[in-house]
Parts: sequence; structure tokens; C-alpha cells
Amino acid sequence: MDKTTIICRCEEISYEEVEEVIEHGGRTFDDVKRLTRCGMGPCQAKICTGLVANIIHEHTALPLSEIPLQRMRMPLSPIKLEILATNSTAFSAVKSVLDEVEIEDGKVR
Amino acid sequence: METDVLIIGGGPAGLAAAIETATRGLDVTIVDESSSLGGQLCQQTQLIRPLPSVYQPMRGFELAKVLTEQINDFTVGTLLNHRVIGLYADGSVGLSDEEKVFPVKAKKIVVATGAAEQAVAFPKWTLPGIITIGAAQTLVNRDFVMPGKEAVIVGSSDFALDVASQLLEVGVEVKGIVEKNPAAAAREKEKTDALIGRGIPFYFNSFIKEARGNGQVEEIDIEVNGEILTVSADVVCIDGGRSPILDSFYQLGCSFGYQKELGGWIPQYNRQFKTDRENVFLAGNAAGISQQGALLLTGMIAGISICEDLQTIRSGEAEEIRDALWEELKLSEYKDVWEGRTKHIEKFSSPVLKDQFIS
Repeated sequence: MDKTTIICRCEEISYEEVEEVIEHGGRTFDDVKRLTRCGMGPCQAKICTGLVANIIHEHTALPLSEIPLQRMRMPLSPIKLEILATNSTAFSAVKSVLDEVEIEDGKVR
Repeated sequence: METDVLIIGGGPAGLAAAIETATRGLDVTIVDESSSLGGQLCQQTQLIRPLPSVYQPMRGFELAKVLTEQINDFTVGTLLNHRVIGLYADGSVGLSDEEKVFPVKAKKIVVATGAAEQAVAFPKWTLPGIITIGAAQTLVNRDFVMPGKEAVIVGSSDFALDVASQLLEVGVEVKGIVEKNPAAAAREKEKTDALIGRGIPFYFNSFIKEARGNGQVEEIDIEVNGEILTVSADVVCIDGGRSPILDSFYQLGCSFGYQKELGGWIPQYNRQFKTDRENVFLAGNAAGISQQGALLLTGMIAGISICEDLQTIRSGEAEEIRDALWEELKLSEYKDVWEGRTKHIEKFSSPVLKDQFIS
């Protein structure tokens, strides 16, 4: 594929940028995301996930079944903070990024 | 808010699950982010068949109406224009009505979130005028808007060819159908023949080399057997297949397995269409991409299993109905899909991906 082809349209990440991450050892969507912001725009990876998995598959010969799903966090689609907080007494009970951290023997697992 | 059964997604599978549970006395709530029930059926003017034996073959939007009318007779709460944003620590589901977020506590949850269309990337595919095949159908059938005058279609699934015919009917010139494989992907050969009969060119072993245009797509280069063919077009419809929408399952902590025939990653589930999370069921394309009739059956199976769990139906009777529905499911979907589903269910106790949330 042409190297300039856009893969993540929200963050304008090109094929070449995804390729570079793979050359540096990236093997999952989240690897690509952390290094390029691929999938971090308004659509929240709803369009580029499959494209990135296919590029990893083509470059590494890893079967698609060994390229894991990206992490899907709350909120599942973009929402205004105002809405998230309105009348919400149980707000902090919504699974948040902090809830993902599990402490074991005083240390992050 | 509390309910017996919360159904996430008001498409064919969600509605089928709602009918089974509501008719057996359960308090059912359907949540859907759009403003009407029926999901993708609402803009489908093609004939849907085969359908489960209780329905006559009919067009998609007619089926949406028939399904919706059936739940109207019962106490089914419908939360339209609401979306799921996540899960509370106590297991209740967080919904938003775009003004506030509130929790819904349900005894059982059915995730019927359907599937999303996949993209096909090529240089300048982000130009306006390049849309998915489903978007083209929505524009024509729901919004009554012509997506363009000259269309090129990338991909040749049954659905893509249905939409190609629908575009022709409203006066869009279909300049060609581009397929990367040596033959059309459509399983119903008469669809391909009908389009060939109308003089629509099929380009096999071909792909889009590049799109060009100033502010919107104006022409595309198709590579056909190593040669470049330039075609003018103001709309390009991409059919990249579909994959299940998994966000809700992921939040709920379900395990996943990979099954190519069912659209890739899908949640693990058993014969009851129950995931490995207590009280979480699933139905429809979210449980693997299949045909409309099969999607209804999966919703019916999930509904019956919930009734069994909540004891509004005797266990033996539930088992009998479920067996019959499974038999019908086998006849309603393509053989490879059915085999993929059978294989997937066998792997229920040994999922590929589990405990995703904490990693």
C-alpha cells in the first residue's frame, strides 16, 4: 500500500507511521495507539482497528487471532463531562481509568 | 431504574429477544442510540429471506414494523436516543440520555449491539464522497437523498449488490463493481447475473489504486490485472465486510474468541447464548455476522434462555424450544457460518482472550 495512505482518519496517522511502530516491535493495536495516537480521536478507534490489525498481520505474519482487541474504556463513546456529572451521585462508581488499577500488597498489579 | 431484562440494541435480534421475554411476563427495557426501533432493517428495502417459520418473507423495513408491533402489546420500556456509556461497579449499566447519566439495574442483560462496517483504505480514501455501502443505502432509503450521480462500488457481497440495484433504481449510474478476488463474493448468483444483465461492469482481481478530486472525489484509478483504468465518479461505496461491535462486552468483562467465519473477534458464549459473565446474554450480529433470519433466531434463543433462568418457563420446555430454534438456525445460515458457530461454542470453556479489563 502507498505509504502516505491515511489509516486513522481522526488523528491523521499514515500507513508509514503504523509500519514504523511494527518495525520497533509493536504487535498490538494498543502498541500502535500509545506510540502514534492512532485511534484516539473522536471515533475512538471504531474505524481503524481492523485496518491496523491487517497491517500487523501483513508485516509480521501473526494470525489475526493472535492480534488482540484494543482496550475499550468507559465512556464507550465521547460524552460531555457536564452530562457525565449531571445529577450523578454515583458518578465515581462508573468504571474509570483509576478502577483499572488493582493494588496487590501495596503495589500496582 | 430497575428492570428484569435490559436489551442493549433495538435491532432485529434485540427485538426478537424482547418478544420472547415480554410475552412470558418479564419486565423488559430496550435501549437504542437511534430514534427508532428496528436497527438497520429500517432502511432495507430488499426482500429478507429465509426468515424463521413464524414470519413470511418480507422487506427489511416491513419486518422492523412487524417486530415493533409485537412488543407494543406488552410492557416493554423503550429508551430511544439513549446510549450505553459504561458499567457501574455494582453491575448496573450506565446510560446517557444526552442530558445526564443514570444507572439501570437489570436481572439479565442481552447485548445485541450488532455489527460495524469495515473500512478499506487506499490513497485519498478520506475524500468526501467516499462512503460505506451501508451509508449509501441509508442516504437513499431513509433520507431520500441521492449520494451522487456516478457510483463505483468496492466489494461484491450480497448486501453490496442489493444496494447497487437500489442505487440504479433511484437513477444513480453504477460505473462498476471492483472486487479483489477472481469472482463475486455474493452467494446468491442471480444478484450478480442481474447486474451483469443490466450492463454493469464487474472488475475482478482489481482494487482501487488511488482516488483523486478537489474537495471531493472526482475520479478513481482502478488497477485491473496490472493495468490502470481511470473512472470518473462522485461517490465511491466501500463494502469492507462487517465486524461485531464489542465495546459493551468488553466493559462487562466477557471473554473473547476469534472465529473468522463469524466476523473475527466475538464474545465466548454457549448454547444458551449466554456469555461467561453471570446474567449477560447476547444475540444477533454481535454474536457473529450472519443473515437476518439467523439473527432473529439467536435473539429468540437468548430470550428463551433468560425466561428459563428467571423461571417463567419450565426448564424442559425451554430446552425443547431451544433445540427446535437451533435446528432452524442450522437451516437459516450458510454452512461455513454455522460450522464456525459450532466450533466457537465448543471453545466456550477455553477462551483466547479473558480478563481483558485488568491487564
